[in-house]
Amino acid sequence: MEFYGFPRPDGQYGARNFVALMPIVGCVNAVALHIEKLIRGTRSITHHQGCLHPPLDTEQVTRTLVNLGKNPNCAAVLLIGLGCEMVKLEEVLEGIRESKKPVEAVMVHELGGMLETVSKGAQMAADMVLEASKIRREKTGLNNLVFCTKCGSSDTTSGLSSNLVVGEVCRMLTEIGGTFIQGEVCDIMGGEYALKELCVNPEEGDKIVGFVKDLYERGLAVGADTRGCQMTAGNVAGGLTTLVEKALGANAKGQMVPIQSALLYGERPGGPGRHIMATPGHGFENLTGGAAGGAQLILFTTGRGAPNGHPVIPAVKVCGNAKTNLTMGSHIDIDVSSVIEEAESIQQAGQRLFELAVDVASGRLTKAEILNFDSQMEILIKGPVM
Amino acid sequence: MKKKYAKLIVPNDNVVTSVADIDENDVFNVIIGDREKTFASNHNVPFGHKIAIQEIKKGGEIVKYGHVIGIASIDIKVGDWVHIHNVMDNYEVR
Repeated sequence: MEFYGFPRPDGQYGARNFVALMPIVGCVNAVALHIEKLIRGTRSITHHQGCLHPPLDTEQVTRTLVNLGKNPNCAAVLLIGLGCEMVKLEEVLEGIRESKKPVEAVMVHELGGMLETVSKGAQMAADMVLEASKIRREKTGLNNLVFCTKCGSSDTTSGLSSNLVVGEVCRMLTEIGGTFIQGEVCDIMGGEYALKELCVNPEEGDKIVGFVKDLYERGLAVGADTRGCQMTAGNVAGGLTTLVEKALGANAKGQMVPIQSALLYGERPGGPGRHIMATPGHGFENLTGGAAGGAQLILFTTGRGAPNGHPVIPAVKVCGNAKTNLTMGSHIDIDVSSVIEEAESIQQAGQRLFELAVDVASGRLTKAEILNFDSQMEILIKGPVM
Repeated sequence: MKKKYAKLIVPNDNVVTSVADIDENDVFNVIIGDREKTFASNHNVPFGHKIAIQEIKKGGEIVKYGHVIGIASIDIKVGDWVHIHNVMDNYEVR
């Protein structure tokens, strides 16, 4: 296996090489979308946050935007602001500049309207794309890989095959010095003490327990017991008996690999190994968290067939349901149903998935990319929308 | 006839997960390390549901993925279907 990535000035390697068009507030999404249509090689990274937040969310949105901009798949970043938003353009600009990649900004109020901003921004983006196109992939170590993971449209096959296979990749990747980011606090719920046992530092384990407690208490604040929200009638019909069982099946995406740290939403890990980030299960915010964490791609397990990707990172769809692989094959990148039928070991399927992931990191396209099923994302906020 | 399997996830688990629709009195196989062991099912166990491969007394721990997933609410025999009718959820957010 060889990884060919786009070298970045801060030593990271990108799996993709686009100019990111990043609104710092949802109000100017249209500007990014217009520029994306005009200029090849750009990607709009639209969302609906950036204003009317309590301070903790302004901080979280700022951190996430900065770290998304630092993601090695972005060759350069064009920030787009309105001019009156809570997220401060200078903070995002300075944050991304730490990575030494090209980053510029346009503001709609300053330039006097959308058409003026699109015109100026498109010219800037065109120059950035030309420079980005000169960067060539280089062969580099697998230790420079960062994978994140998530499950979506799960069924009973997820905990029996695809999640275990991703767990095997986590084991292989971290053994050779790579980085693995897992999250989905709602799915951790019930399995937080099992994860705590895997933490190299008990304080990090306490943080993971705290993530679950926080979710539980926020649920109670709106009259919901989030333990009950997690177990569906379908889960029980499918054979899942308790929330702990469900959580352990979800947590299997990291197997028994030691956990180095617990990360805030959108925070970058301080070193290699396995990390747990406070991401929700909801895909739009979840994938953004992993991308902000610096992942080049996501290993996305599915049982019934979740089609979505993400604008910043390719999503490798891993499915262990033989029927779904037939009916939803146009959205699935790798079939691991052989594991269920005992025709292939988890280790063998893990090796196959790892090889595919390295190929994707080196340029092979995923189904979600080919189908353009990867334009939407969101940033997690915790507080009320004002 | 095609062999029916149930999956053991971690060696010390006391339940396995059916990966076929197993009927009452059916014989099913479990791969344990590099050996294959045969059990008989006491109930109809649909795909994805659990079967005990050890005796679990009332109040005993149900172990899957190497962790306690619940507590036996009645005595459970080898080959019994294991689900909400004989397992209590003991999870609390602490």
